[in-house]
Amino acid sequence: MTSESATVIQMDDGRAPVVAAAAPPAPGATAAASSSYATAPTSSSAAEPAAAPRKTSTGGGGLPFLLRSGAGGFRRCLAVIDFLLRVAAFGPTLAAAISTGTADERLSVFTNFFQFHARFDDFPAFTFFLVANAVAAGYLVLSLPFSVVGILRPNKATGVRLLLLICDVVIMALLTAAAAAAAAIVYVAHSGNRRANWVPICFQFHGFCQRTSGSVVATFLAVLVFIVLILMAACAIRRRPS
Amino acid sequence: MWEDGLCSPNQLSDQQVPYQGETCIERALTMKGSSEHGETSKAAPLGRGVSKGVSVLDLILRFIAIIGTLASAIAMGTTNETLPFFTQFIRFKAQYSDLPTLTFFVVANSIVCVYLILSLPLSIVHIIRSRAKYSRLLLIFLDAAMLALVTAGASAAAAIVYLAHKGNVRANWLAICQQFDSFCERISGSLIGSFGAMVMLILLILLSAIALARR
Repeated sequence: MTSESATVIQMDDGRAPVVAAAAPPAPGATAAASSSYATAPTSSSAAEPAAAPRKTSTGGGGLPFLLRSGAGGFRRCLAVIDFLLRVAAFGPTLAAAISTGTADERLSVFTNFFQFHARFDDFPAFTFFLVANAVAAGYLVLSLPFSVVGILRPNKATGVRLLLLICDVVIMALLTAAAAAAAAIVYVAHSGNRRANWVPICFQFHGFCQRTSGSVVATFLAVLVFIVLILMAACAIRRRPS
Repeated sequence: MWEDGLCSPNQLSDQQVPYQGETCIERALTMKGSSEHGETSKAAPLGRGVSKGVSVLDLILRFIAIIGTLASAIAMGTTNETLPFFTQFIRFKAQYSDLPTLTFFVVANSIVCVYLILSLPLSIVHIIRSRAKYSRLLLIFLDAAMLALVTAGASAAAAIVYLAHKGNVRANWLAICQQFDSFCERISGSLIGSFGAMVMLILLILLSAIALARR
């Protein structure tokens, strides 16, 4: 959109045009020419072309907030999915931690010497599993604000995304280690081992075994979500050739 | 614009071509001013040097991870101990295949070792041609998947090795390391290479992410 005294140079997909006046510039027009967003042009020659771009800059060319095209829109879309996946992964990790922590089973039979009683801290692997799940759940909650930054500023959040990717990798490794260790113990508890003469205890401690097996499955689902998060962060960090 | 002596085409490289709205003399003067401080003339080769350094470090870490996983798989896979005494019914013998978790450890380490060997050419391509973007993305994804696999294998084997060393009082599982000494030593030592490879893989993913963010 042009007038006879002002030349409008379109930048940033038409969202923020810079108004450069060829006529003797009023102070407001030079202020608008020097900033990339036409926020408050005071000169009357710049008011008319600036009012229309201001409307289009809030409308984004008529598209809603999430669907803008270009690299920024793609990154924003990825950031929204990232946020939702983080919220989704928080559930399984917290549930696994709680369910392992409250898995306490006493059998109704007992001898003179001890009562048959199973708790998570009888097995160091389950203690590690509980702690790792709690750490991962806490990390997911704390990383939500950083994810929101990626939604609000899709093109300028590369440093935040890199930090989130690094932390995601470390926490994913921790969660996988905990889930695998717990899975090994659960497997021995289910099937025993003939060579080492380890008796499968799941036949007696049925509820305890079920609880811990379910927790292990939930943690592996969370690990899968973490891998998807890492891939999406890498996609969003990648700079487009512009 | 190209007529004055400062702006003959063979004096300016293609990165120093002035953009529209600036005269050639102005550009040449700013070039001269900043080249006295060594900024602009060194910026592009420095960036390329850092990228090449990152890619070379990537290759070196891959080699170390290959050695780690291979050593672990071989050390665990060749465990075989037979105790000198035996009863009428059983012969006391220990192998890695007696414990399914250790079998999974050997298989996981072998898979990761083969993957790392196959990803070496891709890494070499990244040294030569720094512009590759999709291949770095693929490499990050596959590295993350292999990290999950090797961590799972190493951690499950560590849980079983801990059980073999200490046993479990509550579940009445005896510590088998009291009898099978060298078997236990072997399986404990083979975990080191695997955990080292895990750390290398984390560093590799980090390096690939930094290389992606830099362009």
